[in-house]
Amino acid sequence: MFEKSLYDLIRGLRNHKGTEKEYIAESIRECRKEIRSNDMDLKSTALMKLTYLEMFGYDMSWASFNVLEVMSSPKYRHKRTGYLAAVQSFRRDTEVLMLAENQLKKDISSPTPTVISLPLNAIPHVINPSMANSVLSDLLPRLTHSHASIRKKTVVTLYRLALVYPETLRPAWPKIKERLQDEHEDPSVTAAIVNVICELGWRRPQDFLPLAPRLFDLLVEGNNNWMAIKLIKLFATLTPLEPRLIKKLLPPLTRIIKETSAMSLLYECINGIIQGGILEAVEGTSDGEEIARLCVGKLRGMMIIEGDANLKYVALLAFERIVRSHPHLVSQQQDVILNCIDDPDISIRMRALDLVVGMVNTDNLTAIVGRLMRQLRTAPTVSSTENTANDRSGQTGLGPYGEPDDSDAEESLRQEKRSDQPPPLPDDYRVTVIRRVLEMCSRDTYANITDFEWYIDVLVQLVRVSPATKTASDTDEDLDIEDVDDVSHGIGRQLQNVAVRVKSVRPEAVEAAQSLVLVDRRDQMFPSSGNGGLGVLEYAGWIVGEYANYLTNPDATMTSLLHPTSTQLPSKTLAIYLQAVPKVFASMAGSEQVSWTPERKTLMTLLMARIVHFLEPLSTHPSLEVQERAVEMLELMRLASEAASGTVTGDAYGDFTDPPLLLTQAIPALFSGAELNPVAAGAQHKVPIPDGLDLDTPINPNLNTLLAEAEQEGFESDEDDVYAAYSEPPASHPSTAPHHTPAADRLDVPLKEKEPTSYQNATEDEYLDPDILARRKAERRERYKDDPFYIDPEAQQTSRPLTPLGSIVRAGNEEVDIDAIPIMDLDLHHTSSRSASDPHVGRTRSPRKAPKRVEIMGDETLGPSDTGDSSAREDIVAPRRASAAAGKSKKSLLQVDSSQLGALSLEDDGSGPMTQLDIERKEAEEAEMKRALMEVERLRLEMQRASERVEARREVVVRKKKKKVRKAEIDGEEVVVPVGDEGGEGREKGVKKKKKKKNADAEGKAEERDKDGGEDGQEGVVKKKKKKRRQVVLDDEGGAE
Amino acid sequence: MINAVLVFNNNGQPRLTKFYTQLETSVQQRLISEIFTLVSNRPNSACNFLPLPPLLASSSKSSTPTTPHNDTPSLVTYRHYATLYFIIISTSTESPLALLDLIQVFVQALDGLFENVCELDLIFNFETLHATLAEMIVGGVVVETQLDRVVEGVKAQGKVAKRPVNEGKSGLGLGGFGRGEGVWAGR
Repeated sequence: MFEKSLYDLIRGLRNHKGTEKEYIAESIRECRKEIRSNDMDLKSTALMKLTYLEMFGYDMSWASFNVLEVMSSPKYRHKRTGYLAAVQSFRRDTEVLMLAENQLKKDISSPTPTVISLPLNAIPHVINPSMANSVLSDLLPRLTHSHASIRKKTVVTLYRLALVYPETLRPAWPKIKERLQDEHEDPSVTAAIVNVICELGWRRPQDFLPLAPRLFDLLVEGNNNWMAIKLIKLFATLTPLEPRLIKKLLPPLTRIIKETSAMSLLYECINGIIQGGILEAVEGTSDGEEIARLCVGKLRGMMIIEGDANLKYVALLAFERIVRSHPHLVSQQQDVILNCIDDPDISIRMRALDLVVGMVNTDNLTAIVGRLMRQLRTAPTVSSTENTANDRSGQTGLGPYGEPDDSDAEESLRQEKRSDQPPPLPDDYRVTVIRRVLEMCSRDTYANITDFEWYIDVLVQLVRVSPATKTASDTDEDLDIEDVDDVSHGIGRQLQNVAVRVKSVRPEAVEAAQSLVLVDRRDQMFPSSGNGGLGVLEYAGWIVGEYANYLTNPDATMTSLLHPTSTQLPSKTLAIYLQAVPKVFASMAGSEQVSWTPERKTLMTLLMARIVHFLEPLSTHPSLEVQERAVEMLELMRLASEAASGTVTGDAYGDFTDPPLLLTQAIPALFSGAELNPVAAGAQHKVPIPDGLDLDTPINPNLNTLLAEAEQEGFESDEDDVYAAYSEPPASHPSTAPHHTPAADRLDVPLKEKEPTSYQNATEDEYLDPDILARRKAERRERYKDDPFYIDPEAQQTSRPLTPLGSIVRAGNEEVDIDAIPIMDLDLHHTSSRSASDPHVGRTRSPRKAPKRVEIMGDETLGPSDTGDSSAREDIVAPRRASAAAGKSKKSLLQVDSSQLGALSLEDDGSGPMTQLDIERKEAEEAEMKRALMEVERLRLEMQRASERVEARREVVVRKKKKKVRKAEIDGEEVVVPVGDEGGEGREKGVKKKKKKKNADAEGKAEERDKDGGEDGQEGVVKKKKKKRRQVVLDDEGGAE
Repeated sequence: MINAVLVFNNNGQPRLTKFYTQLETSVQQRLISEIFTLVSNRPNSACNFLPLPPLLASSSKSSTPTTPHNDTPSLVTYRHYATLYFIIISTSTESPLALLDLIQVFVQALDGLFENVCELDLIFNFETLHATLAEMIVGGVVVETQLDRVVEGVKAQGKVAKRPVNEGKSGLGLGGFGRGEGVWAGR
């Protein structure tokens, strides 16, 4: 039979292009056969092949027992294959792990260094807590192995052991510390220890403070850059605990920054200074200024250095760390950072994006948002198909297939390579940008926004660039999750939020919502391809309904709401639309000043007929929410049209005739009760239940008759009272009354006082679409039409009374008689103060100026507002909240959890202060031990009596013989015992006890002293059983001594 | 610490996978695939750091600036040599620039072992590839960064097999490294 080697397998793969799957399946079949063979070479080769195929995703968990077999081969070559297979294929649930334990222990104790390395490498991959306990005793002696490579690997392995079994550190840490303190230790071992301490350090920095002097020496004298980086990272976590370190660290760190040739070390030095809080600590001193200048200067240098994107990236990382604590240092570098937003490299862009979110303020918000918007608008969209073409899974399948061209694979690796394609602007990046824009703008309830009209325009523009959502809009009621994540919902929420909170721009917000809702403008307002941005309709629909009286074109809005395509919208949006329809209708029909003319009657009847026509099919809509609303509105509309047709019309030109009250009073009253105000999340919970409020007894026991009566009553008679009772808010509601008007209302600023802000830091035509721009320009022109000084389209001026000069200018190209221009007395005092804000000067004026005061309603709440809630507020930055919360609880994929270490103190056992918990635990252990001892004593006495009874019947000779055997054994033991019985060496005793087992059964002699010196409460229940024999042993020792 | 070291070629075929946590095989493959998608789209001038792949990104957003470190992998560093991508996934306790150097040491060590190493060497000697990595990183912690000691450590385990003769090696000799000779000299 011909067996394939790994080499044959790989060659075979390369020769079977196109049929790899079959080839692999066949090879695995062969391996299954080979691996069962008794020939270890064959077995090992098969395992090697399987491990190779595992790399491509072919399962080999079925071979785990064979892995063990190969691991236990005496030949190093096989062992190595076995260990590699174990590392690559063993998973948490691999059952043979228990059996591997002994093999690991055996190989750790091997005399050959290369063999010891194998388990040292493998243990981190396969370890579990129970195994950790067992291999620990074998690992510890390896810390003093003669080979440095073994020592350093042992240190690391012990660290990984500690991650699953924190108790490891109790015996191991003192030994590791000893290695570290040893100045003659091999430098690579020291470096490995420093690496481990760096990993441990951020969990429990206080435990490593005593080591600071030694670590400092290593930093100063060390010439290993990798270790120096780790040391600096470690010190950055120590300095907050020990401020004195800062003074000590500063000179060497400064020296390194100035002298080192390694950029990585330089960078980490700066990073360490930033992260360790050293900048704050030395602030104000001359040293401090120097170091701050040095650090920021170097970081800036990294940003502007040509051709090294990596430095740019890490510099941004560093800036991101200090942006919260040292915003001024970062904002000095604003120019270079902002350039990174447009970097071709998406990684750098992302970092810059994260960074600018932290550094926005009133002054730079428009500029930053402008840049981002321009990016979204101008960058070509990447089709998603293009993206998947590069995806490996998009290819014909996974597999270790041969390369199309072998010579490719022979290319020397020496040349580092980089591809040349331009970067795409993928959808998820777009989504991130939009979210960041929303986040920046809405921060602290719009603290940074001075011009809300601008913000509304930005939102409208964002809708146009929002990428298509992956889930096609489904009409079923499986809502949420993805829906909420959809970025267009975030935009819509912002629009809604502004409409509600900022009264002064409500007309503009409604206008924007209206333009979004209008069906005939849909092509224009939304992305031309895909279903992007449609989520915003849900919110736009609400706005046009709620603020219907602001609508400039209610007829068209109504037509769009009732458009047949509306029924295709997602059920959630459709439900909102249904609610908006009667609201808009109410505003259109509700005017009671207009006489009820035949013309009006016809219009209303027609409109209601259209609404009914739209609603009827929806009363059987699959979504319950839609269905319910449709039915309700349908009934209301039928009633209204009855009322309308029943009311006699007046003469078109004659006297005033009252329109039907149902239209003018009842329906509007349904929707216009109280102003909606933003309410803080959680405010509802704070509403106190008034005393004496009884929620259990029915308000009216005769509810049914009451309802029946109400049904019989006509609508015409006293509908006003009925509806007023339902619609008007109770004047003195016990709980909401004190908070009914927002405090901010009283601070209302008249609208005309506001000044338009500067737009100079970003030119709008770069990021806003032409139609939005045209509208903005028109608005501005309208606003300034009477302003004689208005020349610049980006003027800064509010309207002023018409002056004679102005009228002449407005007269246009007509010939101007210069003499006709009246000479005015110029009030110099007045104008000189004016000229500062003159539009011509305004261009060069610094953008920094007092922010315009726009009234933004805050959230209403009761009692002290609780800050924890505000971060979770749905209406502010909601998009990422859900996923972040989910992420917090979920462990990352590759994460190695070290949280267990947090609870373990590395202080020496005796000297370390014991926590209350420790003490309690110890007491509990002692109590249990006492109970166990008593139980053992009782059993012992019972057995003793029993054995006495038995022995009485036994022959004397036999007893004597046994006695002799036992004596001999005791002699042997005397040598062993003094070696290591200090208290914690229960294991060694355990071994002895086992030896003892054979002849111990016959010994039941009464032993008086059962106080056990070695007893320290470390062994639990297991000990109980062994107890008896052990006491026998100890007693004999006592006798021998 | 280092969470994973991956090597795959320009077509996304893995040449070395080493995860320092136990991970389902299918998840491993998905992660490789995601990273490959990210890495293969990078332009020439781009930096050597990748945004987090979707599989890892979901859970890392919770990291806040108040805690400088945590256990979550937050850094994906890569380097591209000829036909191969070398990738290291690590937490924030590692220095990004130092990891780039670490990859360089790794490749230099392989070059020292195979003499003008190329992808074929690694395909046929993937055990040596693993052994080399094991000399440098144990359980996600770096134990050795000195080139000669790494090479020495691998050689101590036995003769390093050469690529089969008949696989031929032609038209090579692109000598010299792009970056400085000294391991730590450049960056």
